[in-house]
Amino acid sequence: MITTEGFWKSIILFTLLLAVIFIILRFTVLKRFKNMEKTMNITTNIMLAIGVTYLLYRVYHALPEGAETFLFLNIIFNSIVQICVLALSTTAIVLIFKTSTTANFSQGMIATVGAFVAAKVIAHLVSVYTEMGSTLVVLIAMIVGALTAFSLGVLIDVFIIRKAKFPTPIGKQMITMGLVLVFTGLIPIIFGTLPLIVNKLSYADNIKFTINDFPYSITVHAFYALLITIGLLVVLFSLLRFTKWGLGVRATASNELVASMMGVNTRVITAMSWGIAGLLGGVAAVILAPNSGSIQVGIMLPTQVNGFLAAILGSFSSFAGPLIASLFIPILTNLMSLIATTWQNAIVYIIILVIVLIKPSGLFGKPTAKKV
Amino acid sequence: MTYQNEKKNKRKQKLHSLIHHPYFGFIIIVFLMFFVQLIRLLGVEVSVSILRAFGSTMIFTIVALGFSILLGYGGLASLGTAGFVGLGAYTLVYFTNIVPLPIFLTVLIVIVGAIILGTVVGFISLRIEGMYLAIITLGLSEILNEVFKRATNITGGTTGVNIDGIILFKNIVSVNHNVVFVIISIILFIIMILTLNIMKSPTGRALLAMRNSSSAAQAMGVSIFKYRLLAFIVTTVYAMLAGVLYMTYWSFTIPSTWTLAFSLNILVAVVVGGSQSIYGIILGTFMIFGLDLAVFKQIDFFVANPGITIVMNGILIIVVVMFYPGGLIKLVNALGIKLKKIFMNWIKKWKEFKYGIDS
Repeated sequence: MITTEGFWKSIILFTLLLAVIFIILRFTVLKRFKNMEKTMNITTNIMLAIGVTYLLYRVYHALPEGAETFLFLNIIFNSIVQICVLALSTTAIVLIFKTSTTANFSQGMIATVGAFVAAKVIAHLVSVYTEMGSTLVVLIAMIVGALTAFSLGVLIDVFIIRKAKFPTPIGKQMITMGLVLVFTGLIPIIFGTLPLIVNKLSYADNIKFTINDFPYSITVHAFYALLITIGLLVVLFSLLRFTKWGLGVRATASNELVASMMGVNTRVITAMSWGIAGLLGGVAAVILAPNSGSIQVGIMLPTQVNGFLAAILGSFSSFAGPLIASLFIPILTNLMSLIATTWQNAIVYIIILVIVLIKPSGLFGKPTAKKV
Repeated sequence: MTYQNEKKNKRKQKLHSLIHHPYFGFIIIVFLMFFVQLIRLLGVEVSVSILRAFGSTMIFTIVALGFSILLGYGGLASLGTAGFVGLGAYTLVYFTNIVPLPIFLTVLIVIVGAIILGTVVGFISLRIEGMYLAIITLGLSEILNEVFKRATNITGGTTGVNIDGIILFKNIVSVNHNVVFVIISIILFIIMILTLNIMKSPTGRALLAMRNSSSAAQAMGVSIFKYRLLAFIVTTVYAMLAGVLYMTYWSFTIPSTWTLAFSLNILVAVVVGGSQSIYGIILGTFMIFGLDLAVFKQIDFFVANPGITIVMNGILIIVVVMFYPGGLIKLVNALGIKLKKIFMNWIKKWKEFKYGIDS
C-alpha cells in the first residue's frame, strides 16, 4: 500500500513525463511524417490510454493489499444506480443536443416533475389498492411519471421552443433556463410542501454471489434499475438504427435545413426527441429518488452537471461515446473516494478537464472541420 | 440674430452636449443610488430589502458587465462565472480571517489572481469553442465549488463563513452598510466608464469582428489569441472584484450561492437585458436579482406565495427571449420612439387646432 501523498506525486510526475515526451516527439519524430495530423491524433490517443492505464494501476495499488480486486469490483457493483441514472440523463441530453442544437438545462427539472408525479401515484396506489405488490406499484408509477415527462417535453418543444421568433442556440438555452425557474417555482405550488416519497423498486434481500471466494452483493433495486436502463437504451438505440424516425434524427442532427428539404418532417422529429428525452429523464429520476429519502426540487442537478460533462467527454457527435463516458464518471468518482475522501468530485472534474483539453472533440469524436 | 439669442443658443448647445455625453446616464444612475441612501439618512423610511436589492443589483451588474464583454462582444459563452465570483469572495475571507492583510493589498492580489485565472481560461478557450466551452467552464466552476465546500478550515464548509469586517490598515473595522453602498456605487460608476471605453474602442470592435466570424477577423489581422485572452481576463477581473464587494457588503457567504444557478442567472441577466448595452444589462440584472427583493417582497400576496415570483421571473425570461431577442433595452427603445411619435402627433394636432390647417 502506498500513501496518498506518494500516489499523487507519482500521478503528477507521470503526467508531466508524458507531456514532455509528447512535446519532444512532436518536434522531432512526428514532424517528419507526411500525414502529420493523423499521426498526431494517434499519438495523443496512445498517450491518453497510457495515462489512464497508469492512473488505474496506481489506484489499484493504493488499495489495501489482498483485497484490491474485491474493492474494485465492489465499487463497480455499488455504483450501478448512479451509472444507470447518468446513462439515461446523458443520452437524453445528447438526443436534444443533436436535434435542437442546444444544451437543455431544463432536462433535470422535467425529470423531477416526472418523479413528483410518480410519488403522487405511489401514494394514491398504496392507499387505494393495498394488496398490490410494491414493485408493481413503483413500476406503474414510473410509467406514469415517465409519460408525464414525455408529454411535458413534447409540449415544451411545440409551444415554446418552436414558437420562438429568432431561435439561436443560446436563445434556446436561455428558454430552458427560464423553464428551470418556472418549474422550481411551480413544483411546490402544485405538489404541496409535504415530503413525497418514491419507494425503491424492491426491498427484497440483496442478490449475493461470490467471485474468487469474495462475497459480493447487489441490491435488488439496482438490479431492476439496470434491467430497465438496458432495456430502454437497447430499444432507443435500435429505434435510432433501424427505424425511419432514427434515420430522421440522424439526418436532422447532421443538417436540419437540408433534412427538411429532403422531406424529413423535422418538427415531428424534434418534438419526439424532446418527448423521449423527457421520458428517459423521468425514469432516471424515479430510479434516483429513493436514495435521498423524500424528493427535493434539486435532486437531478448534480446528475445533470455530470451528464453535460459526460456528453463533452464522450463527444456530442456520437451516441455511444457519452454512454461510455457516463460509465466512467461514477466508477472513477467512487474509486477516488477510496483514496481521497471528500475530494473525489473535484479530482474527477480535473481529470475530465485535462482529457478534454487534450482531445477537444471528446474521447470518441472526430475533430470537425469548420466551413468558413 | 441678436447677441442674446446667440448666447441662449450656446447655452442650449452646452446643455445638449452635456445630456448626450456618454457618461451622463451613468452619473444619473449613481446619483439615484446616492439619493436612495440620502433620503434614508434624512429619515424617510426606505425598507432595508429595497436597499439590499439595489446593493446586490449593483454588485452583480459589475459581473454582468464583464460577462457582456465576453458574450455580447466576444461571442464566447462561459458558465464559470459563479466560481470566479465565489473565489473573489473567499479570497477576501482568507485575507481577513486567516492571514490578515489590508484591503487594498487584498484587492491587488485578487486582481493579479484574476489575471492569471483569466489567462488560463483564455488558453482553454483557444482549443474549445461554443457550447463545449460553456460546459468546460461549468466544470471549472464545479471544481472551485467543491474546493469551497471541502476546504473547511478557510471556507467553513457548507455551513458558510462570515467576516467581522474589513481590515483597512491593521485592525478589523466593522463595516457600515451605508458607506459600503456608496463605495460600491462609485466603483460601479468607474467600471461602467471602463466598460464603455472597452466597448467603443478598437478592442471592442476587434471583439465584435471576432464574434461575427473568427476566420474573417483573423483574415483582417485581428489576433484571436490576444483578444480572447483579453476578454476572459476582463471578465474574470470584474467577477472577482465583484466577489470582494459582495463579501464586504454581505459579510457572509456559503458555497451553495456559487453554483450553476448563479452563472445561469448572470447569463440570463445579460441576454434578457440586451447583451451589448450597458443600460440593458443594468435593467436585466435588476430584473433577475433585484426585482424580487425590491418589489415583490413589498406586496403581501407574494410574501405569502414565494413560488409565484420565481415562476413570474421564469415566464418573463421565456417571453423576452422568445419575442424580443435583442433584449429588454430594445423593447424600451422601441416604446420610447413610439411615445415620441404619439407626442409629436398631439403637438401637430394642437397646432392645427390653434393656427388652422395649412392650405
